[in-house]
Amino acid sequence: MPLILVGLNHRTAPVGVRERLDIPDSRLGETTHALRAIGGVDGAAMLSTCNRVEAIVSTRDEDSIEAIVEWLASIASANRAELEKHLYILRHGDVVKHLFRVCSGLDSMIVGEPQIGGQVKKAFVAAHDLGTLDSLLTQLYEQTLRVAKRVRTETGIGEHAVSVPYAAVELAKKIFGKLRGLQVLLLGAGDMGELTAEHLHQQDVKQVFVANRSFDRAVELAQRFEGAAVNFERLDEQLANCDIVIASTAAPHFLIEPQQVERALDSRKRRNLFLIDLSVPRNINPEVGQIDGAYLYNVDDLQLVADANLGLRLQKAREAEQIVVREVEAFRKRLVAQDAVPTILELQQRLENIRAAELEKCLRKVGPMTAEQREAIEMFSTQMVNKILHYPILQLKEASDEPHERESLRRTIRKIFGLR
Amino acid sequence: MTLAPTDSLYIALACYALGTLAALLSLFAPVKRLQNAGLLIMIGGFAAHTWWIGTICTRTGHPPITNLPEATAFVAWVVFAVELALWIRYRVYAAAFFVYPLVLLLLTISAVVGEQFATLDPQLRSNVFTAHLLLTTVGVAGMLIGVAFGLLAFIQDRALKEKRRGRFWEWIPSLDVCKRVSYRALSIGFSIYTIGLLAGVLWSYRTTAGLMDLRVKQIGAVVAWVLFAMLLQQYIAGEYRKKRTVLLSASAFVAIIVAILGISK
Repeated sequence: MPLILVGLNHRTAPVGVRERLDIPDSRLGETTHALRAIGGVDGAAMLSTCNRVEAIVSTRDEDSIEAIVEWLASIASANRAELEKHLYILRHGDVVKHLFRVCSGLDSMIVGEPQIGGQVKKAFVAAHDLGTLDSLLTQLYEQTLRVAKRVRTETGIGEHAVSVPYAAVELAKKIFGKLRGLQVLLLGAGDMGELTAEHLHQQDVKQVFVANRSFDRAVELAQRFEGAAVNFERLDEQLANCDIVIASTAAPHFLIEPQQVERALDSRKRRNLFLIDLSVPRNINPEVGQIDGAYLYNVDDLQLVADANLGLRLQKAREAEQIVVREVEAFRKRLVAQDAVPTILELQQRLENIRAAELEKCLRKVGPMTAEQREAIEMFSTQMVNKILHYPILQLKEASDEPHERESLRRTIRKIFGLR
Repeated sequence: MTLAPTDSLYIALACYALGTLAALLSLFAPVKRLQNAGLLIMIGGFAAHTWWIGTICTRTGHPPITNLPEATAFVAWVVFAVELALWIRYRVYAAAFFVYPLVLLLLTISAVVGEQFATLDPQLRSNVFTAHLLLTTVGVAGMLIGVAFGLLAFIQDRALKEKRRGRFWEWIPSLDVCKRVSYRALSIGFSIYTIGLLAGVLWSYRTTAGLMDLRVKQIGAVVAWVLFAMLLQQYIAGEYRKKRTVLLSASAFVAIIVAILGISK
C-alpha cells in the first residue's frame, strides 16, 4: 500500500494555521492537480474542511513527502519549519485507518458528526472527475465510504443529538415520531429558540407560528420559517392548535400556567403537547410537567440529554474503532493479495511447466501403464507442486504492507524459483 | 390418526429460545447487530413453525386449533407474524423484549404438554366452529400485541416524563407509534375476538342447546373479554399512561392465558 497522507487538523493546529491552508471549493480542482503534479505522485486527492486539510497521495517514492510539505508551506505562505510543527505524516496502513476513522466521524471535533462523510466524498469525487485518482486511491475511496456506512449503520454513532436545539428535535421525535404535519409555536425571539425552531422547520413541520411582544419582529421571524405571526393575546388558542411550544422570551415571569395547558389538552382531545422552555428565568410553570400528556423540558433538561448523548456517542465510538481495525486489516490483505497476483501466477506457471516436463520424461522411461496408474502419477506430481507452492504463495499474500519489505520478499521468491 | 410433534417444532422452539436470548442480551449490550441477529434467528424459527403448522393442517385436514398444544402454537404463530409485520412497518425493536418471550412461552406450552394431535371429531366439523376457533385465536393474538405495545407506550411515557432513560429508551419507537399500534391492535383484536366468542356461543347453542358451559376456558374467555373491554375503554379515554391501565393489562393477559390453558379442561 504505497500511500502517504500529510495534513493537519483541529487537534494539531490552531484555527489561525488552519485558515491559512483552507482551500475553498472553487480552488479545489487546481490544488488537486498541483498535488498530482508533484514528482513521484501516482494519484492524489485533497480533503479540506473547516477542521482539517489533508493531502492524500499514492506514491512509491518516499521523497514525495518532502515535496508535499514544501508545497503545503507555499500554499499557506508559511515558513516550512513553522508549518511542520502542526503537520502529521501518515504512511500506508495508517493512511487507510485514518481515512476510515475520519469518514466515520471518529476523528471529528464532535464525535460521530455526519457532515464529514459528505466532505470526504466530495474530495474524492472532485479528484475522480479531474482524473487524479489512480486505481489504489479509487479502491481506498470506495472502501472508505463502505466502512463509514457500516460504522454508522451498525453503531448508530450519529443518531443522538449533542446540542440543545437538536436534543429538542430528538425528543420531539421520541414523542411524535415523524414531525411532518405538526404545528410549532415559538414564543419570543431568543437565539436558542430561533435555532430550535429552525431545526424543527427543517424537519418539514406543517407550520411555525411566532408570537412576540413586538409584532413586527414576530412577522420578520415568521417569514424566515415560512410561518405566520400571531398576537401574544391569542396564546391560549395557539396552545390548543400547536403540538410543540418553544418559549424563549426575556419575560421575568411565567407565561404559561398549568390551567392553560389543561384547557389546551382538553380541546386537543388529550393529544400530546411538547413544551420547550429555553428561557431564564423560566416562562413555563414547572407544574405543567405534572400534567398527563404535557412533556416539559427546560434548558437544563435538554443540556443533560445532550451530555448523555455525547457519552453514548463516545461509547459507540469504541465499538466503531473495533470495526475500523478489522476493516483496515481486511483491506490491507486484499491489496497485498492483489499486488501479489502476477508473481503468484508466474510461479504457478513455472512449476506447472517443470511438472509437465518431468512427468513426460518419467512416463517415457516407465513405459506403458494403465489409465489408473497414469492418473495416480499425475495426481502425485500435481499435489507435490501444490504443497511446494503453498508457503511461498501464503507469504506473498500475507506480506507486510510496507512496500519495500514486500518488494524484497517478491524479489527473493523470484530469485529462488528462477523467475525472470 | 395421531401425529407426534415433528422435528420442525423442536427446531422452531430452539430458534425462538436463541432469538429471545439474543434480544434480551441486547438490553445489557445495546448493539443493533445483536437485535438483528435475534430477529433473524426468530425468523428462522418462524419458518420452521410455519412448516410444522402446515404439516398439521395437511395431515388433519383442519387448522391446528382443536386442543391446547395446537391452539398455543397457532396463537404463537399469529403473534409472531403480526410482530414481524409491525417490525417491517415501524422497526420497533423493543417489542422483541415482550413478544419473543411470549412466543417462546406459548410454543413451549405446546411442546411440553405433549398432547397428541387428533383429527377433529366429525361431529365438530362445522363452519361456525372453525370460524369460532380461528377468530378467537387471531383476536387473542391481536390483543396480546396490543398489550405489549401498551406496555411500551407506558414505559416511554414514564421515561419522557421523568427525563430518565431506561434500558428500553434506545429500542422504543415514538410514543405516538406505540400508542397507535397498541390501540389499533387492541381494538381490531377485541372486535375479532368478540365475533369469535359469539360464533362459539352460536355453535354451543346449536350442538348442546346451551349458550356455554361453566368450564375454565369459557369462564376465562369471558373474564378476559370483560377485562379487554375495560382496557379498550381506558385507551379511548386516553388513560393509557395510568398505572391502573398497566394492572388491567396484566390481569387481562393472565385471564387470556388461563383461558388458553383451560382449552383441554
